[in-house]
This record gives sequence, C-alpha cells and structure tokens, in this order.
Amino acid sequence: MFPIVQMHSIVKVYPYTLLKANDHVDLTLNEREILSLAGENGAGKTTLMKILYGMEEFDEGMIEVDGKKVNISSPLDAARLGIGMVQQHVTLVDEFTVAQNVVLGKENTVHHLLYDERKNSSKVATLIEENHFSVEPDALVGSLSVGEKQQVEILKMLYRDVRVLILDEPTAVLTSQEIDALFSTLRSLQSKGVSIILITHKLHEILEISDRVAIMRQGAMIGTYETSLVDEQSIGRMMMGETAAVPAKILTSIDSDRIVLSVDHVSIERHNQKQPLLDDIHFDLFRGEILGCTGISGNGLGQLESVLLGELPISKGKIFYHDTILSSEHKRARTREIGLPFVPSDRLYTGSSLTAPVSENMIATSREKFFPPFGIRKRKIQAYTRQLISRYKIKSEPYQAIGTLSGGNIQKVILAREIEKVKDVIICCEPTWGLDASSASFIHEQIIKLRNSGIGVLLLSSNLDEIISLSDRLLIFSRGAVVARFGVGEVSTMTKESLGPFLLGKAVRVKRGKM
Amino acid sequence: MDTVSSLIFSAVTIMTPLLLAATGGLYTELTGMLNIGIEGLMLLGAFSSVVSLHFTHNIVLAILIGTGSSMLLAAVIASITLYLKANVFITGLAANLFASGITTVLSFHIFANKGVVTFPELPQMPVLFERGTEAVPVLGPLLFGHTFFTYLSFILLFLSYVVLYRTPFGFRLRATGLYPKSLISVGLSPKRYQFIAFLISGFFSAVAGAMLSVNLGAFVPNITAGKGWVALVVIFLGQKRPVGLLIASFIFGISEAFSNYAQGIWHIPSDFILAIPYIFTLVAIVFYSIYDYNRQKVE
Repeated sequence: MFPIVQMHSIVKVYPYTLLKANDHVDLTLNEREILSLAGENGAGKTTLMKILYGMEEFDEGMIEVDGKKVNISSPLDAARLGIGMVQQHVTLVDEFTVAQNVVLGKENTVHHLLYDERKNSSKVATLIEENHFSVEPDALVGSLSVGEKQQVEILKMLYRDVRVLILDEPTAVLTSQEIDALFSTLRSLQSKGVSIILITHKLHEILEISDRVAIMRQGAMIGTYETSLVDEQSIGRMMMGETAAVPAKILTSIDSDRIVLSVDHVSIERHNQKQPLLDDIHFDLFRGEILGCTGISGNGLGQLESVLLGELPISKGKIFYHDTILSSEHKRARTREIGLPFVPSDRLYTGSSLTAPVSENMIATSREKFFPPFGIRKRKIQAYTRQLISRYKIKSEPYQAIGTLSGGNIQKVILAREIEKVKDVIICCEPTWGLDASSASFIHEQIIKLRNSGIGVLLLSSNLDEIISLSDRLLIFSRGAVVARFGVGEVSTMTKESLGPFLLGKAVRVKRGKM
Repeated sequence: MDTVSSLIFSAVTIMTPLLLAATGGLYTELTGMLNIGIEGLMLLGAFSSVVSLHFTHNIVLAILIGTGSSMLLAAVIASITLYLKANVFITGLAANLFASGITTVLSFHIFANKGVVTFPELPQMPVLFERGTEAVPVLGPLLFGHTFFTYLSFILLFLSYVVLYRTPFGFRLRATGLYPKSLISVGLSPKRYQFIAFLISGFFSAVAGAMLSVNLGAFVPNITAGKGWVALVVIFLGQKRPVGLLIASFIFGISEAFSNYAQGIWHIPSDFILAIPYIFTLVAIVFYSIYDYNRQKVE
C-alpha cells in the first residue's frame, strides 16, 4: 500500500464564529483504495476535502501528494495533481449538453479555434461507454434526473484523468438502485487505479463500499480503521462521541391527561420511492415531561424537525397543539405562526440573523411587544436584552452582531429568546450540538428547569448521553420510523450500548396502543 | 428615392451604432453582468476617435485610439466591480457621468469650446456599393450604399455569433452567466470571463461611438443621446441572441426613421412624434411577452 495523498495536521478556523472546522487533522489516502470519511453533520469532513481540492484555504498544516509537499490553492492546482471532487451540489449548466458540460474548460478544438462538437461528443461517448453510464452525450443536462446529473459530475472528473476522486455525500439524493449503480462504478474505477474518498455518514454504506474508514467528530480526526475490523456500532459510537455528564432527572410519573402537543400518524412520502422520509410517526407530548427523540443522521430526526418547524409539508396525518390543528395533509405546520417556542438545530442560519445585533435577534420572535403602532421602542428593547443577557449569563453587549459571538453564546441567545415565550411547550433540536461542556450543562439545566415548572419539552437530539440523561420518555428513529419507545422509568436503565441495536434498526420495540 | 426606400435606408444608418453597442453589450449580458456603462463607453469612444482623426488623419489609428480609451474605461469599471466588489449598477453610472464630464473638459482644454466642435477638413465617410441602392427595391437601401461602419457591424455580429456559440471561449463565457459554479468547479475563474466581456463591450461601444462622430465630422456634447441605453433595450428585446439583436435594432431604426420623416409631414406635437420609437418598443415588448407567455403555457 503506497500513500498517494497525505494531509498533515490541517487546521481551519472560520472567521466570525471562530469555529474550529478542522483541528490538527491528519489523513492518509492509499493508492487504489476506497476511503470513507465519516462523521456527523458539521464534523468538518467537507471542509477537509474542500481544502484538498483547493476550494478552501487552511490556516496550518501541510499536504503531500506522492510524498512531495504540494501547494493547492485552487481546483486547477488540484486538477494538475490529478485530484477531482464531485461536490454535494450540482455544478452543471442546465442549458448545455452532457458533452459540453463534461469538457468545459478542457475542450477539443478544430485548429485551436472552434469548438469541435463531433470530437467532444464522441470522446464523452467513449468515456460513458467505458464506465457503463446511461446518459446520452448530446442530451441537455436540464432534462436529466438527479442520478444522471451525478454521472455527468463524475464524467467531468474522469475526463480530466483524475487519480484521486472525492465524492461529497453522493448518495444523499439517490434512489437505492442509483446507489447500487454508483457503487459498482466506484469499484470499477478502483480496479482501474483510481483512489476514492467518499464523504458519508451512512454506516451501512461505509461497510459496504470502503476499504478503510476515517472518522471525524467536531473538527477532530478520531482515527482511521480497516473496515473489516470495525462494525456499525463502533463507528456510530465514534461518530457521536461522549459528552460531559448532565444533571439527573427528577420526574418519575406523568400526568397523562394533559397532552400539549400531539403528532398523529404523520408520514412524508417521496415521489417514486417506496421508503418514506417519515413513516407513520405517532406520539403525544405531555406537560411536565421531556420527550426525547433520537436516531442516527439521515434516519428521520431532521425531517421531523423540518415538519415541526413548518419547512416541509406532510403527506399524511395531523399535528395538534391542544385542540388547534398545526398541520394536516399536504400542509406545512403553523408552529411559527402561532408562536410556539422552537430552538432549531441550525442555530447560525435558521436560528439567528448573523449580521444583526444581539438585541434584534433577542426580540425576533416577539416583535409585537416592542413595536407600537408607530415607531420602535428602542430603549425598551435594549433594557429587555440586557436583562436576558445577565439572566442567561451571555457574554455580549446588546448592540454586538450575533455572528461575532461564540457558538455557545449564540445558542444561549436563541434559548433565552424562546424560553421567554414559553406557555406550556417548547421544542428543542440538538440544543448543545458543538458546544463546550459548560455551555452544554447550562443549557441542560435550563431545559430541566422548564420541565420541572410543568412545561412539555420535545427534545430532538442525536447526542445519546444528552438524550439518556434528560429524557423522561424516549423514541428511537430508524429509516424514518419510530422503532422503539421507552416509558418513564425505563430510559434511566438504558445505556448507549443497549440503544445501539435500535438505532441501527436491527431491533424493534413498539408497545401496543398509543403511548 | 421613394419614401419607403429612404425610410429603410435611414433606418439602417440609425440602427448601425445600436447594433454595434448591443453586440458588445451581449458579451457582458451573457456573463450575467448588466453593463449600463455602454452609454459612457460610446461617448468616450466618439470623442477620442474623432479628435484623433482630426490630428492624425488616419481612420485606422483613430479607431484604435478610440477603442483603446473606451476599453481602458471598461477595464476600470470591471476592476472596481469584480475585484473591489462594487455594485455594477453604480460603477456603470459612474462611468457614464465620468465620460460626459471628461469629454467636455478635454474639448474645452483642446479646442477652447464646450459646445459643438466641428472638423470641416475631415472628409466625408465614403459609402460602399452606392449604385446598388436604387437598383434593387427594398433590399437595395437595406444592403447597399452605407458607410463601412454598417458592413463592419454586420461582420462583427456574425463573428460574435461564431465566438459565442462555436468556440470554447464562448462556451465558458456563457457558462459564466448561466451557472458560474460550473467554472469554479473545474478551476476556471468566472471573473476573468466577466472582465474580458467588459473589455469587448468597451471595444464595440467605442466603434459605435466613432461612427456617430466621424460620420458627422464633429463632436457634439452628449452626442450619444441615450443610444447606449437603447442598446441595452435592444439586447433584451432581441432575447440575448445575435439574430434577435439584428431584428430589434432594425425595429428601433425604422421607428426612429419614421419619426424623423413624420416630423416634416404631420402637424401633431413633435414631442409625440419623437416618442414614437419608444412607444413602438414598448408595444413590441408587450406583444413579445404575451407571445412568450403563451408559448410557455403550451410547453
């Protein structure tokens, strides 16, 4: 095994948030291997690969190709070294044909002058044939399916004779047949001598396709392992990681007459696909409890958040807040319209407006209190913000742009804003994701305080430690469905290991009747 | 010449600078940049080419100096817009104001005259194929007896079609406007193509401006009189296609020729008659939009 690419101690810090996307990361890619780069969303996988492809600059570290130190400052440099990357989002011109897209930037010409339609088309046709692809060289890209567009993206790289092919979550948008076709393509490329890096967080795909797997978590490289020596559970555990201990729970029984939020047989079906995104989700949330929902990324937690946030319409079922219908068939939930407090998992873009001051972010979901018929009550806003800043121990000034704060402080602003609106329910999604231990435990205390004061808390989190120590009841999601339910008193007996089989969808535990 | 022939003949004369400027503007438009500086680029080209013709008496050198100065201004707009990230609308407006100011200042400085500067010694621009004009009905005034600028505009339009649709450069330039990420993904710089497009637009605008001043043998302050703006409309009316530009600029030419003709004949307010080209354009756009809407509905 000969190493073709070596990345040494790469450091990348994003401005504004000062988030360490890559913290002294090492990575080695051997010749003719398929390497999976695994990790949760935000672990720093894409950043690392964009650095290798010359699309992102890095702050420290060194890259070697074929044992020689190289300087990759643009995709052109990468292409010269034989490194190609298929981005997560398409980079094709819909108005051009397949061949025109593939050769863009490296066209065959007649007398170095005119674009040679016939030669370009036939070269691409040969490439298509060699790799057993199904697209036509003269078809317009705009008329292709997502899977076919991805073929064109791969062709674009193969046309440039890449030795190293990076694919960023290539299976995210594909059907299962398309995934099979992609994997057989990757294997045949491997046999032709191409080394492949596959960014993914789907455990079964890692085991199916790759020779080795490199696992990242919160910007750091956890380790690289031979795939034959690890199993899904150990990879999953390394991806999710351990976190600081959190306060123990107090509640032991639930007042079952007092339902606040009710999700009634909700499904989301996909066009032309058997496997729904959400499969008959059914649960009630009571006052004075924390209902935890967990699962591995891509198993429905994200979709449930989008549904509750009103971003995604549902195909079947209903959602109620007391007797009010929040959502029904083909509608988006009105959670935000009726003002239910919601802490979204994406705190930077959904949860806050990065360039706006803390004070404006603080009142963003309760503006009516500060806007009389004419004008804005600036002084009242300032005072209100200062009050919350001190109560929630936020390190900032009201006039500071929220984007200049650390992740923990941004999350505290969002939490403060939403908690101030709480009547009897709050929805929290990945509330401590990426935060340091002290911010995380502060946020956990706040959530427990809410529960103890009789509020119903719906907690969506992929952090198992958090979910086990906070939840009074627990739902486990796998492939879009609830595969296990644990009631009061049962969750505290669970460990991360014992949840494993449920998370992977290998064990099912669903009680009869409505829980 | 009969009325129809002379209308067609002057329509072609009027459309030539529009077609030239619009062809240049097509390059910037296809890279996704709205080049509203065309007016200023034309004005600067008009001034510098007629003045250098006055001093050198060499039409080739005059056009080289004219296009050179406009391309320099275009390079400044492009640099400020692309590399210093200024708003393209503001930089374009600035270029227009700059051109109108600098031509007046230089004209005063060189000729001690802020108004019309005439160069009586300059020869009339020769016309080509003069005998054909009256020999063939309709096509005659359309094709024969014009100055070389007109034939140049047709040749440049055809060349532009070849460059934009039949060369690798053209594919990349259009990809810039359609989806710049497609270039970034293979390590090409969209900004580079946008910059080159601005230079080309500067070149074409200058030739268009040169035609106005050299044909007249004089420089009139603000000689372009909004033709750069009309060229922008021509690009959109022509659906950003070379053939479309030809048709759209002819529509403008014929309606302006008609309005010039009608001024001497009809006894209606001249303001209204002068508005005819614009009313005509408005009607054309409305009809085209209706046609396009229906076509899309069918699809």
